[in-house]
Amino acid sequence: MPYSGTLDVAPLLADAPRMDGFDTEAWEIAGVEILQVTFEIDDTQMLSLLPKALHPTIPQIVIFTVARYPEGPVGAFTLAQVRLGCRAAALPRGFLLRAYCDSPAARDALARQWGFDCAAGDVRLQRYHDRISGSVTADGRDLLRVSLIDPEPISGGDIQYVANMHLAVAPGDERGVLVQVDPEYRFQRAERGRPEVAAFDRAAWNAAGVDPVWPIVASYTVCDTGFPRIRYVLDPDKPAIVGTRKLDVGG
Amino acid sequence: MKFGIFYELSVPRPWDGEAERSVYMNALEQVRLADELGFDQVWCVEHHFLEEYSHSSAPELFLTACAMQTKRIRVGHGIVVCVPQFNHPVRIAERAAVLDILSGGRLEMGTGRSATWTELGGFQADPDDTKKTWDEIVRCLPKMWTQERFSHRGEAFSMPSRAILPKPYQKPHPPMWVAVTSPGTELDAADRGLGSLGLTFGGVAEQEKKITEYRRRIKQCDPVGAFVNEQVNTVNFLYCHEDGEIGANTGRRLAGTFNYMASQLLAAREAYPTRSYPSQGLLPQLRQESASPADGGKVPDGLCIGDPERIIGVVKNWESAGVDRINFLLNAAETVPQQQVLDSLRLFASEVMPRFDRATPPASVATAAAGGN
Repeated sequence: MPYSGTLDVAPLLADAPRMDGFDTEAWEIAGVEILQVTFEIDDTQMLSLLPKALHPTIPQIVIFTVARYPEGPVGAFTLAQVRLGCRAAALPRGFLLRAYCDSPAARDALARQWGFDCAAGDVRLQRYHDRISGSVTADGRDLLRVSLIDPEPISGGDIQYVANMHLAVAPGDERGVLVQVDPEYRFQRAERGRPEVAAFDRAAWNAAGVDPVWPIVASYTVCDTGFPRIRYVLDPDKPAIVGTRKLDVGG
Repeated sequence: MKFGIFYELSVPRPWDGEAERSVYMNALEQVRLADELGFDQVWCVEHHFLEEYSHSSAPELFLTACAMQTKRIRVGHGIVVCVPQFNHPVRIAERAAVLDILSGGRLEMGTGRSATWTELGGFQADPDDTKKTWDEIVRCLPKMWTQERFSHRGEAFSMPSRAILPKPYQKPHPPMWVAVTSPGTELDAADRGLGSLGLTFGGVAEQEKKITEYRRRIKQCDPVGAFVNEQVNTVNFLYCHEDGEIGANTGRRLAGTFNYMASQLLAAREAYPTRSYPSQGLLPQLRQESASPADGGKVPDGLCIGDPERIIGVVKNWESAGVDRINFLLNAAETVPQQQVLDSLRLFASEVMPRFDRATPPASVATAAAGGN
């Protein structure tokens, strides 16, 4: 059988996002801009960063995402994430190592409603003539600077984003739970180019040992998306095939 | 209807000193038995870096061993990855010709382009280019085999005039196929006069539409080779047992294990947005069909698992859909013990094979002749 993560989540729960529950209201947001930069990584530390419920992808990858949400129930915000490519049983997922957000209200809501481990930072998404760049700074330090170089238009139909898995604590799930966040996307525009990582403070992203060594691709999209109602949660310590719980999302 | 067996050569961890050899030796024993039982073909894939899922990086060597240990069964080299970073086109032609000679003219030549970032990224091949390079190479191979000397100026490769040797034993050259996973590739096969080597599991109704279009389109083809190979080959799982419930349960375990391992790989399209891969190949279907090795759902209609009567019905459905050949995956990660695999083959050969006409070739097939000019 494929390798599985070895991360012991128990020591992490004290600092994990505390959710109000799983009965979240969906947010639908138009005109979201998303920059995604993907690299293959040196795999020596990979398994120790993934919960036991998840398999690493073959090869192992890190996904940097910087997204600007121009509106929403708590106003505009920009969100940056670092995720590891993985599988929940047979399904493609990205395990969130950490996120940064520039809006206190959005940080609070993203943590309480969807289990985002979300810290405060100045998150920016900027378009230049020859590149699209995303950056995160906090306390005067560069935590992340990634870019798409030489953008070229492609079809939105060629883009595939993977759903998130978030380690969180929730009422009734005090021993930790993996929350699946799987937005839908309606693309208006898409571009593709070479990926670049100019700054990556691993410690700031809970990403010790994650070394983005081989570039894969960068993409940029404009789309209607958001944050959906939560449909599935997983026991972080059991294989996803036996530890997945389907939630009642009716009403 | 012709029947074959199909190998990915999957090797479960732990990879101790005997693990890979055991898988290869078991496969060779199955091939010898299949030859004795009257199976028509054995196919072996080319894959690289696909840990556990497929340790078959040198299929021409495995198939040579198959050929040297058997008398009648044809050897399907497929698919060979027609991407220059994987294989120089001259080496493809040369290796295939040697295999055809050593097998006494039993080679079936499958072509394709890889569908995973795991492989493409490993060889630093650009996913945007693989369809182009496949197209260029597949048009060159017959010329390399049939012309005394060959030269070429192209995008995938260029070379001055050389004699590419040896030439295949089958004249003018072995039958050629292309792997069909992405939507529309069946049309690429038809336009070039190539056989359709379907690599999707199950889904008779969906496949029937593709086969109908393939048959319609190939009538107007401009063949890349010296003859048109109008045939539809498909892949399926096989586990045949007198007790239908045991057959179904074991077969589901086999299919589930295969699908689970396949789903761990990084599909080209998942990693790299490109028009060149309009779908993820067979991965989404596999994920849908089997969520886990222990999946206890019903047996999908198109799968050849269960008792002989059920399997006869399934094969008849495929035959009605227009399939000429079915290749069976017999094991995955050695999840089925070797003796059970051999028993399943024997039962299939005694109870299922006789129910089908395997002597009459498809009406429009022009086959290559073995030996001589």
